[in-house]
Amino acid sequence: MISEYKNILFKVIHLRSIIGYNSLVFALKKTPIIGSLIPDKLYSTTFLKVIYWVFHIIIETFKLFIGKIFGLGIIYLAAFLLSDQYIEHELGMGMSRSAIYGTLGLFFFLVYALCGILIRVPYFNCTTEKEYLVFMLRMDAKKLNDTLIYYDLAKLFIGYVIAGLFAVITGAPFWLWLGIPFLALLIKFLGIGLQIMGFKVRTKFHRSLKISAIAYLIRLSVVLLAIPFFIVFVANGYFIPVIPLVIVTGLIAAAGIWGFTVFLKSDTNIHRRALHDNISRPEIKTTSQYDNTKSFKKIKAKGTVKGDKKGFDYLNALFVKRHWTMLCMKPVVFTIIIAAILILLIGEFIYGYYTRFGSDNCWNMVLTNLVNMVTFRGYDDALLPLGTESAFQFFRYVAQSHLLGMMIPLSIADNSFKTTQAMFINCDNSLMTFSFFKQREKIIKLFDIRLKQLIRLNIGPVIACGLSANLMLFASGGQSYPGEYLVTILVAFLLSVLTSVTWLSLYYLFQPFTTSVIAKGGAYRITSIIIYSVAAIIVWVPMVSYILAPVLLVVTAAYVFFMRKMVYKHAPNTWRIKA
Amino acid sequence: MEFVISHLVKNYGSKQVLKDVDFVFEEGRIYGLLGRNGSGKTTFFNCVNGDIDYNSGSFYFRENKDSEDKTALMPQDIGYLVSTPTVPEFMTGREFLKFFLEVHDEITPDKTIDEYFDYMMVPEDDRDRLLKDYSHGTKNKMQMLLNIIASPKLMLLDEPLTSLDVIIAEEMKNVIRSQKQGKITIFSTHLLDVAVDLCDQIVLLHNGRLEPIDKNDLGDAAFKDKIINALRDADDDQ
Repeated sequence: MISEYKNILFKVIHLRSIIGYNSLVFALKKTPIIGSLIPDKLYSTTFLKVIYWVFHIIIETFKLFIGKIFGLGIIYLAAFLLSDQYIEHELGMGMSRSAIYGTLGLFFFLVYALCGILIRVPYFNCTTEKEYLVFMLRMDAKKLNDTLIYYDLAKLFIGYVIAGLFAVITGAPFWLWLGIPFLALLIKFLGIGLQIMGFKVRTKFHRSLKISAIAYLIRLSVVLLAIPFFIVFVANGYFIPVIPLVIVTGLIAAAGIWGFTVFLKSDTNIHRRALHDNISRPEIKTTSQYDNTKSFKKIKAKGTVKGDKKGFDYLNALFVKRHWTMLCMKPVVFTIIIAAILILLIGEFIYGYYTRFGSDNCWNMVLTNLVNMVTFRGYDDALLPLGTESAFQFFRYVAQSHLLGMMIPLSIADNSFKTTQAMFINCDNSLMTFSFFKQREKIIKLFDIRLKQLIRLNIGPVIACGLSANLMLFASGGQSYPGEYLVTILVAFLLSVLTSVTWLSLYYLFQPFTTSVIAKGGAYRITSIIIYSVAAIIVWVPMVSYILAPVLLVVTAAYVFFMRKMVYKHAPNTWRIKA
Repeated sequence: MEFVISHLVKNYGSKQVLKDVDFVFEEGRIYGLLGRNGSGKTTFFNCVNGDIDYNSGSFYFRENKDSEDKTALMPQDIGYLVSTPTVPEFMTGREFLKFFLEVHDEITPDKTIDEYFDYMMVPEDDRDRLLKDYSHGTKNKMQMLLNIIASPKLMLLDEPLTSLDVIIAEEMKNVIRSQKQGKITIFSTHLLDVAVDLCDQIVLLHNGRLEPIDKNDLGDAAFKDKIINALRDADDDQ
């Protein structure tokens, strides 16, 4: 039996080493510049493999000793320091320092270990080597899991015994030194047993044995919620006397023995099924990323395009109709949230006014200011005159001189990136195989149609942001020059156009998406970073709206013109499926 | 008309996939591009179709081998059928065909949309369904239909019969045969029987080069052995 475990363990470690080495070489080969210099031969260089193997053993040893010793070492250190304090402040009720040390150490360890099993029982996660061994090389899943569990627990035991030596040297009782490692094993078995029982119940109800992410989050929340109580308990000088602690420990140990029997009795099928349902290879994660493309496949076939739209106009209209929810959800939700905030603010103001001055005065104020609004004037009222304090002046300054800041909310509301993803995966990806789709004139025609479409999709957020800025202006005295309200809306619109044309042009000039809709490509990333950085600086530039609007109008026109030229010139070569 | 490939080279890093490919394809013939898995058939098509860059070489059309005039290859000259058909999934077959005819101003359709569907044997109940719900074979037929309507000078068919059932595969073969006049058809496959059955000439893509195979002795039982021997690497013999 032991030699069988030894063989399995050797295979696992060997496989881990090979996977680790090959992954390292693969990652290096994928690194820009360096990658092209690395030959394929590196995969089969024995010398480097040996170096990696040695490195792997060192890491294993580090995990064996340092990790375990460090974890338990902190607990013993805390118990050591606190036991001194308890003696000094006479909190130990006649107990010796060694007994207090032991009690605190055991108490802290129980909390630590129970939190540990609540948060994480990793034995049923199917790592790369487990997947190869069980599902490709047909190794017995239980034997493999048993081997890895025993190996892991052996490391834990040895590490804890070594850590316990330091505790004994600093005054911990002897029972703590040997008791903790055994208790740790039993708590681990308790976790494993509970996990297996959970799987058995799920199997009865024909459910997946996947370790639920939600359950993980719930357990993590429970632990995080419990920690403050624990800290307060200790900080107040309380401690659990020996007898209750021994009883609790005994119960946990008994539960651990139960867990061990459950573990021993578990059959290979449940191990195999659990591993199958918890595959966690990075490659498989890529497949689950592929599943993300499913979110782009929610196409509704309802209706068709009415009217006399033809060619690319027809294509675009159909695309928008069939992807309406996907394209419009974000800007619509953003607009509704902004509208709700504005309504709440106005409502709160009117309610405050009503409670102070009564309903007649309130109606008067509302009607007067509604008239003021539609006639492009500012807030005006005799009972609650315009505020002159610095807050009002600040909002007025922002609404008049920092309109470039609207780029932040507009970028949040903008859905152009996701729209280009949907364009690629559901439309262009297939049409790019047809020659007509690569013709310069047709590319620019579709680009223009799509740009207009993106601008239309952003109209809601543009109006919401423009109205918000105008409301600040209205509440702080109204416009300073005729047409300022309209200028604010115009600025919001131009900023939105800039955002839309940027994303669309990047898509045409770099076509960064793979068939998994993941954006890749160094040039694309660098350009995006530059654009983000420039935008991040520009949003802080103060400029009064009557200067900003004409400047922005010229810049936007020039930018759109330039980007169209770039797309016209380069897109036939750049806008294509990534090979 | 001839399609000339001159000294085409394509490398992926240090790996040379296409080494100095030099070949002349003639109008009205179906060429079976036969190669082993990973021999570079799709890379070759992607280079010709402009989907990937190549290291060196050129392509052009000419009237015949004595002609001095070289006509550059334009996107509209190429029809490309990929092995895994991708179609705009948000459209129905009818909508896609309507759109396709509308964006090709230069095409004067000689049939109605339903007649085109009939020609390609696209089932009636599929025509107004979203393309995402089409079977692999029907998607392939749609792709083929659009390439037939566009009538390009050069048809690149990248393993179009792979994973089709026997009925649809036979229908597709008949369509490919019926469309060969007036154009150059290059049909890639790694299946020798399909190549022998469908093509007028077989070209091997082996070790990064195109090598023509004499198909006159097609009936000869030794023909297959000859091709297999030609494709076999030195490593395979060991």
